[in-house]
Amino acid sequence: MPDEIPIAESTTAVQVAPSAPPYSATAKDRHRRDALALTIAAAAWFLPGLGHALLKMWGRALVCFSTVALLVILGAGMRGNIFSRNGEDAFAKLGYIADLGAGSFYFVAQALEINGPDVSHANGDYGTRLLATAGVLNMLAALHAYEVARARKA
Amino acid sequence: MMPAHEFKLSHFQAMVIFALLISIAFGFLSRRGAYQRARYILWSFILFLIIGVGIGWVMYPFSH
Repeated sequence: MPDEIPIAESTTAVQVAPSAPPYSATAKDRHRRDALALTIAAAAWFLPGLGHALLKMWGRALVCFSTVALLVILGAGMRGNIFSRNGEDAFAKLGYIADLGAGSFYFVAQALEINGPDVSHANGDYGTRLLATAGVLNMLAALHAYEVARARKA
Repeated sequence: MMPAHEFKLSHFQAMVIFALLISIAFGFLSRRGAYQRARYILWSFILFLIIGVGIGWVMYPFSH
């Protein structure tokens, strides 16, 4: 019958898979993506909102930057305690980690607080909490940017 | 005299500002779309205030 296609003719159309190992390109891409995600997380930590800006998430970038900046300005303005590296107890060390989470804004807070901390009043105590919150919030935002860069989150 | 860059906030003002900023940040980080975000921010903000005032009332007897 003229409509029948010979078996030999149909099989020759199928291309054989290339000789390169099937997983090398995928693993390479994954490593590259992981390195990029880590870079984005570091950028997000260093300057609040920068990680999301690099991912072209402009709204989130603006909100991260604004909220962390406002918390730092308010916290420093209320004369909150900015913990230093030489903390005496575990709380001071944890406070330092939380404050350092704000990245470069840690130094902004130090520069803003000219008269030093005053935690003898509730105002200064609230300021301490706001500064720690700024740091923890920035760490959360950096983690979010990292997860987005690794395509685990939208 | 208080310098211009220093802030004196009452307990309630500090709580409201904290709740608002954190709600906005959480809303933008965890939700997509304007409506979903607005709903989350409003709900989170209200819960922050209610729970904050509630904890204040629970602690009130201990201050006397």
